[in-house]
Formats: sequence, C-alpha cells, structure tokens
Amino acid sequence: MSVLLAGLLILAALAGTGVVLSREPRRQVFALAANGAVLTLLFFALQAPDVALSELAVGTAATPLLFLVALAAMRIDRQR
Amino acid sequence: MKPGLRVALFAVAVLCLVPAVWHVAAAMPPFGSETAQYGMVVNKLGPELRHISNMVSAVNFDFRGLDTIGEEFMLVGAVTGAVLLLRGSRGENIADRADVIAGRAVVGRAESTILICRVFGPLLLLFGLYMALHATVTPGGGFQGGVMLASGLVLAYLGEGYRGWRRLVGSRVMDLFEGGGAFVFALAGLAPMAAGAAFLENVLPLGKFKDVFSGGLMLIENAGVAFAVTGGFTLLFLEFLEETRVVVKGDGGAEERR
Repeated sequence: MSVLLAGLLILAALAGTGVVLSREPRRQVFALAANGAVLTLLFFALQAPDVALSELAVGTAATPLLFLVALAAMRIDRQR
Repeated sequence: MKPGLRVALFAVAVLCLVPAVWHVAAAMPPFGSETAQYGMVVNKLGPELRHISNMVSAVNFDFRGLDTIGEEFMLVGAVTGAVLLLRGSRGENIADRADVIAGRAVVGRAESTILICRVFGPLLLLFGLYMALHATVTPGGGFQGGVMLASGLVLAYLGEGYRGWRRLVGSRVMDLFEGGGAFVFALAGLAPMAAGAAFLENVLPLGKFKDVFSGGLMLIENAGVAFAVTGGFTLLFLEFLEETRVVVKGDGGAEERR
C-alpha cells in the first residue's frame, strides 16, 4: 500500500471521527462535508473516478446543503 | 425498549453476524490487489460487444441495466415523496411568491460571492453537461452530470438571490425533467420488446468505439437518468429551501422584495 493511500485512509478515519465527535448540528454538517471531500480523494486514489464524482457531488454538496436548510427551517419553526 | 435489552439484542446480533462477515472478508482478495475477475471480463467484453470505453456505464446501463432502472425509480419515488410532503402543505399554485419570513435576519452577500458564483456557475453547468454527454466514453455519466447541473443551478441562488433562482427552477420544467427522465428510461426498456427483443436489449446501432455517440441504447438510458437526476435534485433543493420562506398568495407578477 502506497504512502498516499495510507495517508488518505488515516485522513478518512480522522474525518469520520470528527463527524462523530462534533455535537453541534451545524458543525456536524461541515464535518460531514469534509469527510465527503476526503472520501472523494480516497476513491480517486483507488482508481474509482465514477464513485469519486458521485461522492463529491452528493456527499460534499447536495447532502450538506439539504441538512443546512433543514436546520434553518427547524430554527425558524421554533421561533414562531 | 430498555437500554439493557437493546444492548443484549445488539450483542446477539453481533455474535450471529461476525462469523459470517469474517468468512466473507477472509475470502476477499487482499486490499490493493489487481483487478478482480469480473472487472477483467467486463474490460474485455465492453469495447468488443458494446463499443464503449467507460465500463462503469456498460455495467450500469447494459449488463446490469435492470438494477439501474430499479435505482432510478427509487430516486423518483424518494423525490416524489419529499415533494408531496413539503409541497402538499403549501399548495400547487406556481403563481405564489416566496417572501422573507418576518423577523428573520437577511444577510447580504459579498460581492466576491456574486463574482465567484457568476464565474463558476456557468462553468459547473457546462462541466455537468459534458459529464452527462460523455457517459459512454469517460468516467461519470448521467447521475454525476445531473447532480452537477443541479449544484450549478444552486450557485445561481447563491449569486443572484432567491428570487432569480426560484423563477429559474420553480416552474413545471423540473417536474417534467424528473418524471420524463424516468419515463424515457422505462421506455428504453419497453421499446425493444415491441420490436421482438428482450427488455432493455441494446438494439440500436452501437456506433464507433471512443465516440460520444457510442453505446446505442445506453445513450438514451443515460439521457433519461441525466434528466431525472437534474430534475430530482433541483426539486429537492427547491422544496427544502421553500421551507425557509413564507408563501404569499398572488399572481407572481408583483415585485418581490428580495
């Protein structure tokens, strides 16, 4: 296993731990997006560009956006 | 369920699953080993039988096309469900306007944000189109391209404001994309049957290897996926973001504030 792969795997483990350890929902969303970005690099390094593209689009853009909007909507609802 | 009971259930499940998982994991090729047999077979057969150079598309749209049609309808079902739930409480009238909720702070956008979105929005849309069109040649395809197109449209919201973006995507066009894309995919399966072939059988001319228009029926299925995913994700973004706005009944022609 190359140094690149080992480094990316460690980064993925760190990013995943970051998601679990962040307790504030908004921070958790950004931790999730960061984890998605690391996974994108890992998939790309493992020669799976198709999966990497899907992860990039869904994991770092679409899902975090929907989570952020849901959090905003919840806060608005609570204020009413 | 009491926590103790839950942990006990979890322990039982782990005890049952671990031997089976271990059995399968031990039989897997080691990490980083050369391409598995299935991959080699597909790599050999794809260019020969289907004249295409992106084997992931060959598997997704042809060799295992039936699986993809299932996924396609799962996506359509999920998006339709979300839209029904969210739009249901708001109503169907597209002439309604979305306004800022009273008392909610409006944060202005920096000029640099507008600049970045105006530069990268069109570029992202262009790249998404490229990706969706070149499904049979290079990595990516209708799904990836579709999500990029939807994300590129979101940049229009970030750059131009909610009003402009809503007018851009809040019509019936995205509904049509979403349902029509899935319809095209289903039709691509059923049409060969009318000609006496099997469901999803690749009956169209396959084209030239490494050409954009190679792959025959796969191109049509891919276009269906691209439309459905673009429409589906844009609808999701729109219906979610509408939850942070207040609906003003009206003819839609009146001036919105922001």
